[in-house]
Amino acid sequence: MDVLSNNNLYCSAALAGLYDVFDPEIGLNVVDLGLIYRIDFNDEDKTIAVTMTLTTQFCPMGENITADVKQSVNNTFKDYLVSIILVFEPAWSVDRISVEGQDFLDH
Amino acid sequence: MFAAAPDSGLQQTTSYKVVLPFYLFAAFSFLISCILLLINTDIAHAHYFHPKTLAITHLMALGWGTMIILGASHQLLPVLIEGKLDSNLLAILSFVFAAIGIPLLVTGFYLFNTGLILQIGAFLVNTSVICYFLNVIRSIEESKKYNVHAFYIATASLWLFATTFFGLLLVFNFSRSWLPENSIEYLSLHAHLGLVGWFLLLIVGVASRLIPMFLISKHTSPKTLWWIFTLINIALLAFIVLKSSGAFPKLYYSPFLLVFIAILLFGNYCYRAYKTRIRKHVDEQMKISLLSVAMLVLPFLSLLAIIYFITEDSASNLVLVYGFCIFFGWISALILGMTFKTLPFIIWNKVYQIRAIGKTLTPKELFSENLFKVMGLFYLTGFILFLVGILLLNNLLLKSGASLLLASAIFYVINVLKTMFHQIKK
Repeated sequence: MDVLSNNNLYCSAALAGLYDVFDPEIGLNVVDLGLIYRIDFNDEDKTIAVTMTLTTQFCPMGENITADVKQSVNNTFKDYLVSIILVFEPAWSVDRISVEGQDFLDH
Repeated sequence: MFAAAPDSGLQQTTSYKVVLPFYLFAAFSFLISCILLLINTDIAHAHYFHPKTLAITHLMALGWGTMIILGASHQLLPVLIEGKLDSNLLAILSFVFAAIGIPLLVTGFYLFNTGLILQIGAFLVNTSVICYFLNVIRSIEESKKYNVHAFYIATASLWLFATTFFGLLLVFNFSRSWLPENSIEYLSLHAHLGLVGWFLLLIVGVASRLIPMFLISKHTSPKTLWWIFTLINIALLAFIVLKSSGAFPKLYYSPFLLVFIAILLFGNYCYRAYKTRIRKHVDEQMKISLLSVAMLVLPFLSLLAIIYFITEDSASNLVLVYGFCIFFGWISALILGMTFKTLPFIIWNKVYQIRAIGKTLTPKELFSENLFKVMGLFYLTGFILFLVGILLLNNLLLKSGASLLLASAIFYVINVLKTMFHQIKK
């Protein structure tokens, strides 16, 4: 599932790091799971806004996953201030899992 | 395009400090119950109203089943009611009162000391339940999300209070005989308030949220859950009316039928969640938890036989089968599985709050999967052997079954301790 961004180059760099952030219950990374909706970069005030969701609004691991996402993007872009915008509309669905992710879950 | 969630949008979790004591107490209660079962296998030959049977039953029902469900529900309440736990203090008080009250109550039964030990124990257990009930109601009121799961947990905790309060009355009836009948006459009413009103209602309410969540299934059907909720409550109310009015015994088939339909609906709910799961691989913990749903068939069959043979002597043996299938079967299987679906996450959240991304263990790596498998094997074999032992009144089968159950309890405690005391490897 594509991740929207206003800067595709920066977005690819952020996503490379986010492949190491896992949902601890499912064991799949947040990118292949389709949790990341959008990453926007603002070079002027050095801020990054990550718009993401969780598999369920009541996920007890939500705090850890969002903290990991924030830390991961911060590790890639050390001079930027990262903020997480958690959304549940549109809700996460199975269709957001990538082909690689579905392969992982099938086995 | 994207609607930001109100506040942080994150689920607010309950502190691990509140939850872990319940898990620890429950684990040792299971261990002690199995030890008591092994050294008292002769209770299979006696009437079910035997001090040792009462002691083991109450240790299993309160120390094992209720304590771990109280702990887990404090942790899961935010998930169920879409809010947060109102008071950590009430949760801690609930633990402290129960942790003192349950050993006193069990000791009172074991020694058949119907005086102060039993009375103080029952009083403290009631105080603990009141703390829990207040906490649940206040949490639901604050969250203002009156979903079906909130109704399950609120009603179940109300039935729990009805059970323990009635139990308190029965305890005082031992020494003062102020109820119209002997305490033994009220035993089935007291037991079913707890079994159906507390255990069944709460387990259905919690499992209907957790099973789809752990299977990563999108299946949900509030309408079905409302039907199950209504059927179980009507069945319990009908049973209370029938029992209190001294109705014709065969009329007990009607509440039995209502609960049976509710269980079928719940089984179908779980099956649909299983069939529509996204993750194909089902781990051992989920397998044993799903097996517990199927294991509900056993107490149903024995209950059917009890109602049929209600006036005959063989009913006493069937009551033991019924109780054993519930406490050592259905409830234990569910807890053995669900402990290792919930506890590792609580510990993982505690230990890995600050961590290096991509380099941490996953929650399921905090306990030994091999030990879990061995525990499951010993447990299932022990359960079957002991069950057949009760039916055939065979001492060798009873001793072998109880020994295997004890071994499974030892493995369980080791794995719980291994998980609880997990630390980051340097």
